[in-house]
Amino acid sequence: MKRIGVYICHCGGNISDYVDVEEVRKSVEHEEGVVLAKTTMFACSDSNQNDMVSDIKEHRLDGVVVASCSPKLHLVTFRNVTERGDLNKYTYVHANIREQASWAHSDDKPGATGKAIHLVKAAIAKSRYAEPLYPNQIEAEKIIAVIGAGVAGLKAAASISDKNINVILIEKEDRVGGHTAELGDLFMSDEKGYDLINRIYNDIAQRDNVTILTGSEVISSKGSIGNFTLKIRKRPQNIGDPVETMEIKVGSIVVATGFESYIPKEGEFDYVVNENVITLPEFKLLVDKSTGDKLIYKGKTIKNIVYIYCVGSRQNEGGNTYCSRFCCTSVIHTAIEAKKKFKNIYNIHLNRGIRTYGKQELLYAESLKMGDIYLQFDQTTPPEITSNGKNSIVTVTDILSAGKKMSVEADLIVLVTGMVPRSDQSIGTMFKIPRGRDKFYNEIHMKLRPVETVIDGITIAGTCQGPKKISESVNSALSAATKSFSYVSKGTLETDPIIAVINEDSCSWCGKCLEACPFDAIEKINLNNREIAAVNSSVCKGCGMCAPVCPPDAINLIGYRNEEIISMIDVLA
Amino acid sequence: MATKINPSFTDELKKYGAVNMNACYNCGTCTAVCSLSTTDESFPREMVRLSALGLEEDIKTSLKPWECYYCGECTTSCPQQANPGELMMSLRRWLTAKYDWTGLSGLLYKSLPLMILAMILIFASVLYFASSVSFDLGQMLHAGHNFEMIAIGTIFIVIFIPNLLRMWYFTILKTKTNVGIKYYFTSLSELFVQMFTQKRLRDCDDADHFRWVEHLVLVLSYLSLLFTTVFLNWFTTENMFVIVFGYLISFVVFVVTAHFVSDRLKKNKSLNKFSQPSDWFFVIWLLLMGVTAFLVRLFIDLNLLESNKWLYIAHLTILAQWALIIVPFGKWTHFLYRSFGLYFSKLKTKKS
Ligand code: SF4
Ligand code: SF4
Ligand code: SF4
Ligand code: SF4
Repeated sequence: MKRIGVYICHCGGNISDYVDVEEVRKSVEHEEGVVLAKTTMFACSDSNQNDMVSDIKEHRLDGVVVASCSPKLHLVTFRNVTERGDLNKYTYVHANIREQASWAHSDDKPGATGKAIHLVKAAIAKSRYAEPLYPNQIEAEKIIAVIGAGVAGLKAAASISDKNINVILIEKEDRVGGHTAELGDLFMSDEKGYDLINRIYNDIAQRDNVTILTGSEVISSKGSIGNFTLKIRKRPQNIGDPVETMEIKVGSIVVATGFESYIPKEGEFDYVVNENVITLPEFKLLVDKSTGDKLIYKGKTIKNIVYIYCVGSRQNEGGNTYCSRFCCTSVIHTAIEAKKKFKNIYNIHLNRGIRTYGKQELLYAESLKMGDIYLQFDQTTPPEITSNGKNSIVTVTDILSAGKKMSVEADLIVLVTGMVPRSDQSIGTMFKIPRGRDKFYNEIHMKLRPVETVIDGITIAGTCQGPKKISESVNSALSAATKSFSYVSKGTLETDPIIAVINEDSCSWCGKCLEACPFDAIEKINLNNREIAAVNSSVCKGCGMCAPVCPPDAINLIGYRNEEIISMIDVLA
Repeated sequence: MATKINPSFTDELKKYGAVNMNACYNCGTCTAVCSLSTTDESFPREMVRLSALGLEEDIKTSLKPWECYYCGECTTSCPQQANPGELMMSLRRWLTAKYDWTGLSGLLYKSLPLMILAMILIFASVLYFASSVSFDLGQMLHAGHNFEMIAIGTIFIVIFIPNLLRMWYFTILKTKTNVGIKYYFTSLSELFVQMFTQKRLRDCDDADHFRWVEHLVLVLSYLSLLFTTVFLNWFTTENMFVIVFGYLISFVVFVVTAHFVSDRLKKNKSLNKFSQPSDWFFVIWLLLMGVTAFLVRLFIDLNLLESNKWLYIAHLTILAQWALIIVPFGKWTHFLYRSFGLYFSKLKTKKS
């Protein structure tokens, strides 16, 4: 027979103002197995936690129930208290009588009290079945793969290698550096993009624990955190060479597959149909590669340059609604460069509000001081491009001039194009990395777990997660590297014991659970010449999706077995 | 029809004294702090904007630059150091050049060497004239007096009236403002009140109104000095009252202008941080006029002038330079255009 201790919390008055906690205590103190029932002002307070630890020892408790706030807040707290009382922490059971009773039924105090009593009784029922559980230990491969060798991938690889762990850097293109390697002068630094890349590349290329595979693609992945097996195909370096494929085993993976530049549709702001219209990357290349004191494009000397901002970004619902973040700064920086480098350049910026956040505001100030002209348009009245037979004329309604319509002759029109997710999503699909509404890869929590994905062992770095400037990409790369390192650093991993288990005798392999599992944790195995389902314990998240779909009821979720749930339902009824 | 932007206009405006106006990011702080700006007539941000975009037509037809008295509040508050007050000032210079049919104003504003050359030419002419009358003091005094009267009349008819008509054409006719004839008369009081009392400057927010008093004193004493020398013939009169009055006001002109000069040297307020040559010529010549007029009369009274003819030649030179350059083509015109500017904007509020 279990010896169960029950604690009912006032939560200051958050609970006790509506729920009669004393009434609850009285109603449960004589439940089967309950040897102790107490109320407390703040269950989470240090003093109560200490009382609980001594109660556990003194009354030889082997089950603990706290009725308080949401388990999201304090489940871990009380599991730890149980552990301090030398019990297995998984024997702890939580009842939520704040969000589910007092707050939800503040208009009906007797009703709230009645519901709280039911919830606590259900928790006690579950507690009678609760058994000690132990985390699964698995061996972890001490090698990390980084997919994508742009600035984020390169820095992630360098950072992992610093920690004395082997890194395999896999790049689809024949060269490293991604977009950064195509850039000339970078804003807020004196370095050129290609020089920056060379510097990092030269540093890691000579390290023993870094393997760089260019012209290589990951074509399949098996396994899970600690033990991924990646199949890699390397394009032949010389014509006639055979296609090389290889398999590597890694413990965790950093995905840094980057972005693509938005390519305007034909006719979008006259792109393609008007030869004077180019995109921001094309313009940057032009400024970087042009020499002499005049800016020449297609044989014509350029004087007036009109920039149209937010092309492919900040669109209406259905399009790319996000701001690409880097482009305001990037275009202003390039406009300044152009003005400094060439004579007689007039920059006219048609924008939707300048977003040169942080230190980059200095660039905006510099460009204003240099005499660049800024006109601001509303999304509903985008600039129009016409021609006077000789030149392109851009017309815009300027918000800052009380909605006056302005026109300017443009020798060159630069579409300030933003970032879009890679059209080749094969890596994301292969690892089942969820994507946000913007189609970039999603982290678990934007603020608190910004580089982890819901797929254990896989982190994301750089612009595959969303638009970033180089410094932000590197920031996320360093943090992803550290996180990926922490998965494998000990050589072993612990995974949560609350997972699904298959009853080998009753399973008849219908495959229904395989379809239901969102994490690909179920595989078909052969046991004594019988096909049955098996759960990969390092992949299973314990979500429980598979259990109810199983026709012969062969799946149980550890910690939430059928008997436990049914006993809870019985007291609730 | 869309208005065409002219990015090179700011380069032109810089020659008239605009400083760093492109730095403006349109926050509107300047307009908010300006004590003269109103909801209907809002400035200076709007003028900064028109200037940055180079919308010359809109500027040429605007009266707003004349509504600003350059208290400098906007410049002090501007987070971008775009100097909106100085921009308004340079727009006044630019407008003066646009109103002037001879085009000389613009040339003299933009080119200091040309200005100096003109001043030297006038000095040479005075010398030439003096030598042609063999430096005879009586003849010189007589001619000086006649010159003043003729110069005033001619400049009015040849320069000011056509220029004011042009100003009227740009700001009233071109903007298609329909003002009933009778309002031209009923609003005349505005013109004179503004001209002789500088009333609007009083509305500026500086607490002690000192600038207004100083300005008013200068305008009144300058006009009285003009009146005394031209119509009461100060230098040759025997009338004791006129003589003393002349002394008094030339002294006042000297004191006030000396204070202006020292402020400009100290650059202690935003309004005198960026003195243009035209500003210097204006205050220094006004000061010199006061000093030389005072001394000439003093030398006459002490019977010293006959032996110090150079003093009168100097005074005549200053006077001629003032009357032929600074008054018709220099900063003096601001006094006239501002009064008419305020008169015209009053008319505009009466438009039918
Ligand atoms: S950074 Fe600027 S140009 Fe780019 S999408 Fe955002 S607002 Fe538009
Ligand atoms: S509990 Fe969820 S994750 Fe685990 S096998 Fe079942 S469906 Fe898959
Ligand atoms: S305060 Fe300065 S920045 Fe703001 S609108 Fe006026 S001039 Fe522009
Ligand atoms: S200087 Fe004074 S009057 Fe002129 S615009 Fe600025 S705040 Fe207004």
